[in-house]
Amino acid sequence: MISDFFHPNVGGVENHIYMLSANLLRRGHKVIVVTHSHPPDRVGVRWMLPGLKVYYIPFPTLVSSATLPDFLTFLPYFRTIVLRERINLVHAHASLSSLGHEGILHAHLMGVRTVFTDHSLFGFADAASILTNKLLEAMLRNVDAAICVSHTGRENTVLRANLPPEDVYVIPNALVASQFKPAPVAPPSHTITIVVVSRLAYRKGVDLLVAAAPRICAAFPNVRFLVGGDGPKLIDLLQMREKHFLQDRIELLGPVRHRDVPNVLIQGSIFLNTSLTESFGIAILEAACAGLYVVSTRVGGVPEILPEDMISFANPTEDDVFRAMAEAIAIVSRGDHDPHRAHERIRGFYDWGQVAARTEIVYRAVMASPPRELWTRIERTLALGPFAGLIFTIILAVDCLFFMFLEWWLPREDLDYVDCEWDLGRFGKIVQETRLNPDAQRRH
Amino acid sequence: MVGQNWERVLWKQQPYPDNYVPPSFLSSLSKNPNLREYAYWALILDSCAVTQHLSTIFIFLAVFVRLLDCTFDPRLLVFISAGMFVTGYALWEVLDYTQVGWIDGSADRRAKTAKASILVFLALMALAPILRTLTAATSSDSIWALSACLFLLNAALADYSSTSLSGRVRERLTSVLSMNAAISAAVVLASRLRDDLSVFALVLFSVQLFALFPILRHRLQATPSAVQFGSTLILAALSLAIVAPLSGAVACMFMAVLGSATFLAPAILLWAQKYKNEIRGPWDAATPKVS
Repeated sequence: MISDFFHPNVGGVENHIYMLSANLLRRGHKVIVVTHSHPPDRVGVRWMLPGLKVYYIPFPTLVSSATLPDFLTFLPYFRTIVLRERINLVHAHASLSSLGHEGILHAHLMGVRTVFTDHSLFGFADAASILTNKLLEAMLRNVDAAICVSHTGRENTVLRANLPPEDVYVIPNALVASQFKPAPVAPPSHTITIVVVSRLAYRKGVDLLVAAAPRICAAFPNVRFLVGGDGPKLIDLLQMREKHFLQDRIELLGPVRHRDVPNVLIQGSIFLNTSLTESFGIAILEAACAGLYVVSTRVGGVPEILPEDMISFANPTEDDVFRAMAEAIAIVSRGDHDPHRAHERIRGFYDWGQVAARTEIVYRAVMASPPRELWTRIERTLALGPFAGLIFTIILAVDCLFFMFLEWWLPREDLDYVDCEWDLGRFGKIVQETRLNPDAQRRH
Repeated sequence: MVGQNWERVLWKQQPYPDNYVPPSFLSSLSKNPNLREYAYWALILDSCAVTQHLSTIFIFLAVFVRLLDCTFDPRLLVFISAGMFVTGYALWEVLDYTQVGWIDGSADRRAKTAKASILVFLALMALAPILRTLTAATSSDSIWALSACLFLLNAALADYSSTSLSGRVRERLTSVLSMNAAISAAVVLASRLRDDLSVFALVLFSVQLFALFPILRHRLQATPSAVQFGSTLILAALSLAIVAPLSGAVACMFMAVLGSATFLAPAILLWAQKYKNEIRGPWDAATPKVS
């Protein structure tokens, strides 16, 4: 697993990598994670439960935890890690992670196969998208398989990276259902609490929330809002609240830690998501799992994640959000939505164990497919375009030369191979021994 | 294959492999959804604003050169500016009357306009001696280069869009920058002139051309195309007529610039439109509609 985005950062990608790794470990695979370091204290090699080895590469970050995309500097670390850990397959995550891109670029030198998971949706119209899409196309030119988290995401990735659709798999995210249990005591039915937990940014559609919330408050006197999250649009919410004198109806919680989210969710009965783009919408799933009825804008992969009777959709307009909210409030006040039943259903829908099993199928298919020769890679890279093709072919060639230099400079025979693996049983035994006999620890 | 139909959902385990390509794959993809086929004549009509703007810049430059070598009486320029102001204002009123209809309180508004214009007039007159010596320590070469850059900025950032019929001018940051660039260019050029009256006349003229005329131009663009063509033709001819006696080469270059802006650039845009390939789909960020 390679990505710029991993623990100690928190987020959807980070959590996905951790959960997938843990479940692959459970299935008997050896998994290591490679990410960039978080000085001062997250450096070097760390172990995470349950026996997941994490390499923190000393790369400085540019912005929002992404490293500098320089294509080559990762190779010395990468080669050593791959060889000494005897890796067969590299799985890169997130399309804006340059470590992931580099991993895909270098992997073929060591005869390692590659899989890429795309977690986000991109448009095609603005300059930033055009550049990143070209970069993605170049990097995924020689990837063996790609995984997307929703069907919409798959279509998007196929178009952006120009991949054959058969090589792109759809494996959704999952969630740990036991972390999102409905409130044991149902929230009082006379007031309906609408929960919003989201980063308060433009892309999350806070403008829609700001426009619709006063109307909802005016139309339904028994409704109150609970908004968790922080971001640049918080100020808009505050202004709206002040302007319409809704201080007692709209509660702003500020930033909410991920482990506190379930406690926020179970205070409400309707979850409102006004995102303008969303490739999967794990927050919606978490809310639905906690027994909330969901109202969401019909964007990206959101329509795919829940059956129609657990969610109300709105078009991204103020009027339609209001309409959908009115519908949801009617459903909830009639008592048509049973939180515990919803929780049980979601528990059956999504499971990390299944995700790991489906990912394993992809890995097996990739391992069984014939690898591409270097010459085919060069030809494919050249076909990128008259300008980009040339640049990326040069990068590929320099990469090969650099690899040959490294082979001479740090010969494979001299590497310190990992032969001693983590063993949970042994760890437990040692812990018990030291507990029983505290002197043994002192003697060591 | 299997009896059960494939569904585009993630919550259900389906008896299809994860890389199954459904027949509906990419069905919601739309290419060039809001494509508007350009018509050549409509494009030319839209390019009139650019032509008019370029013409005003060249008219200004030609007037400046004449003032600099004292072949033009600055008093006459002041009268021309005043005349332009009155004509322009009258035109504005006529457009207001024909497009929007009669508005209450317009007498009050007119009094305010008159007061403001007299204030600007007096302020410029008072400032003229300062402006004349503003860049005395700077060499003329720097001034020419600076003013050229500022005029380029002005032409690049100018707001060439037409206003809606409501008559309210949408103020964008770029159009304000553009106006400032032009006025700054006029001020630094004016500081090369010899006497205060010339400085005053040139800056007044520049205010007419670069601050007030663009506002009027927005309104003119909403008028019938004959009026637009006519005004463009008059302005272009006027600028050519003023520039030509000064330098034949510059006039030829100017004519080439005007020709390409009016006729060649729309043709290139029309030709390039066949390469337009805009992809839209459910992954695009939606634009929220807030009433």
